[in-house]
Amino acid sequence: MSVENKVEDFSTPIGVHVRNLSVVYETNQGQIPAVNHVDLDIAAGEITGIIGESGSGKSTLAMALMNSVSKPGRITNGSVIVDGIGDMLKISNERQRRVRGKQIGFVFQAAQNSLNPLSRIGHQVLDLGRSHQVGDLRSLLRHARDLLIRLGMDADRVLMSYQHELSGGMRQRVGIMFALVLDARVVILDESTTALDMLSQASVLEIVRELHQERGLTIVLITHDMGVVADLADRIVVMYGGELAEEGPTEDLLRQPQHPYTRGLIRAIPRISGNPDEAIALNGSPPDLQTFAQSGCLFYDRCPDRIAECQAGRPIYKEISDGKKVACYKVDRRD
Amino acid sequence: MIEVENLTKVYSSKSGIFERQSVRAVRGISFHIPAGGAVSFIGESGCGKTTVGRILAGLESASEGVIRIGGQDVSRVSSKERQALFRTVQLIHQDPYQALNPARSVGQSLLDPLKVMAKTKRVGDSWIRDRANEVLTMVGLDPNSVIHKYPHMLSGGQRQRIVIARALTVEPHVLVADEAVSMIDVSLRLGVLRLLRNLREKLNIALLFITHDVAAARYVGRDGEVHVIYRGLILEKGETDDVIQHPQHPYTQALLSAVPVLKGLEIPGPDRYIPLKEMETREDVETGCLFVSRCPFARDICREKSPLLTGEGHEMACHFAQVRNVVAMPVVAD
Ligand SMILES: Nc1ncnc2c1ncn2[C@@H]1O[C@H](COP(=O)(O)OP(=O)(O)OP(=O)(O)O)[C@@H](O)[C@H]1O
Ligand SMILES: Nc1ncnc2c1ncn2[C@@H]1O[C@H](COP(=O)(O)OP(=O)(O)OP(=O)(O)O)[C@@H](O)[C@H]1O
Ligand code: SF4
Ligand SMILES: [Mg+2]
Ligand SMILES: [Mg+2]
Repeated sequence: MSVENKVEDFSTPIGVHVRNLSVVYETNQGQIPAVNHVDLDIAAGEITGIIGESGSGKSTLAMALMNSVSKPGRITNGSVIVDGIGDMLKISNERQRRVRGKQIGFVFQAAQNSLNPLSRIGHQVLDLGRSHQVGDLRSLLRHARDLLIRLGMDADRVLMSYQHELSGGMRQRVGIMFALVLDARVVILDESTTALDMLSQASVLEIVRELHQERGLTIVLITHDMGVVADLADRIVVMYGGELAEEGPTEDLLRQPQHPYTRGLIRAIPRISGNPDEAIALNGSPPDLQTFAQSGCLFYDRCPDRIAECQAGRPIYKEISDGKKVACYKVDRRD
Repeated sequence: MIEVENLTKVYSSKSGIFERQSVRAVRGISFHIPAGGAVSFIGESGCGKTTVGRILAGLESASEGVIRIGGQDVSRVSSKERQALFRTVQLIHQDPYQALNPARSVGQSLLDPLKVMAKTKRVGDSWIRDRANEVLTMVGLDPNSVIHKYPHMLSGGQRQRIVIARALTVEPHVLVADEAVSMIDVSLRLGVLRLLRNLREKLNIALLFITHDVAAARYVGRDGEVHVIYRGLILEKGETDDVIQHPQHPYTQALLSAVPVLKGLEIPGPDRYIPLKEMETREDVETGCLFVSRCPFARDICREKSPLLTGEGHEMACHFAQVRNVVAMPVVAD
């Protein structure tokens, strides 16, 4: 990929390897399999886009990558191997805490609320440095300042500000600064542009693109908007009902989507060129507890291509060509 | 159906740092939406879109300007008549979850406005039932399957349809849809956009569609107009597809550039550019072009002289207006 050789300040990129990962939420209505037997390789130095509709398990997967799923959720199975570190689900709690922030930076959904409302941004940078035993706090602050300027902001003003004095777009940028200030090598962005207007979103994404190129970061970009990953990601992973439906290199996946769900998602994107009547809304509603209980394909109820076989059991997620994977009986049939 | 001339809104607010500050949220906007027509307001956060919508729905008063609904100037009628006029304008908010009472079923939320209508029409309960079914069908829902459901049992798209159905109970002439799809999953958005377009055509409703998403405007606004708003001012306006395909103002071009490019299916327009700087609402410079601090084409004159809206049919306010190719182009199939 386009990771140039000018990344001499940074060590080699870090990949993350998820194996057979499952997370459930215990609720009054029953157990929700929010992430179900997921196998996923997040390639070092690439931007991996994870897309799926609301409730498909994207945030839960992101939390599980850092072993920070909170109650009533529970990781029931699997491993998350981070290059050079080991299994996030097995290393000591103290080690995990250091990895989060130092090696893996994250900007969570609702990053708007993750800043401390009572403390100036600059103080929060210092707090972060102390909690990670950073010796030279002054140079950390300088680093934060440089990043903020890089992110298109008036750094001195921002460092002196409280959260409520910043607009939504500025808070997201501050969130990205926090994710990068300890020089994390893997950055997870969960819906970090969803609440922004289009222009703000585009500028934040543009900055992410530039930082990725400059630093050879490994980026996980989580969103429900196919357009966002289609523009930025090297690879796209499509999630449906806690499972992976399809993945592949971005251009491939957009040009030749295999899973009927992926095709539906791509057809449903409102465009500014071409015939507007060619866009078609996706039918039906997202999976619920009833869907999870059925033995067949999770997408069966909504699928325009379904065949009798689809009810037999869950389709197996497997490689269909180099770097492309899909879980669909109809696709299996074709070859 | 609805006509607005030189609408202005100034908010004065106290602020910690600046002792007293006034925000010119709307700086003299004029437009007209015929029955069945559509105008889309496009602009980023804070440009004054919601303010215009709220004024039209009678929820806020204008600082200056004339509003005519169905030909009647709202400032020249009795307050009772004014209320009746504003009732024909229904506002649909961004968040359908907040707009619906979680403790009331779909049927119950439709009941209140329908009872009022039944009273004025002097009709009975069977009319109410029929009308509830009718509005639900109109928004593309199966009355039998949703009427007893509560908001949490519905998807975002379905919830927004319920909100629209409720607005239709009062037989409005104008719908103001304020970011009505922005909180709905992208995969379900298109359906709601289609619905809004159908309502224009079937019920002859005039639509003011407020959004920051240019692509969405294209789906509801066919045969309508797009007005690009920046800090309370219209910078470019014209027929929807003309503005989208031949944008002339640098700001419109920035908004169009912000639409993600589908790699593999499209290539970015050669002139695509995305300003990395945020909008400064605090800027107090009032002379010259309001966009100047973010504009890549700005020259000295832009700081000295305010550009005025010029052109026929398709108008823009820029000293260096020029068509630029910022819209992504489809990759030719190979
Ligand atoms: N704290 C919780 N308690 C119970 N169930 C939960 C909890 N958090 C998530 N879930 C359930 O787990 C599933 C996956 O949720 P998750 O938040 O990971 O989805 P998501 O893809 O991130 O959705 P969104 O796009 O809305 O952020 C959903 O069915 C959700 O209802
Ligand atoms: N009640 C108020 N008091 C003071 N200022 C206000 C008030 N309401 C809005 N404003 C200011 O007026 C301007 C326009 O706000 P408005 O809500 O109309 O923008 P918008 O285009 O709808 O933005 P968004 O996309 O974020 O909804 C903003 O600068 C806002 O801060
Ligand atoms: S008038 Fe000048 S600053 Fe304003 S948009 Fe046109 S070129 Fe840019
Ligand atoms: Mg989420
Ligand atoms: Mg608004």
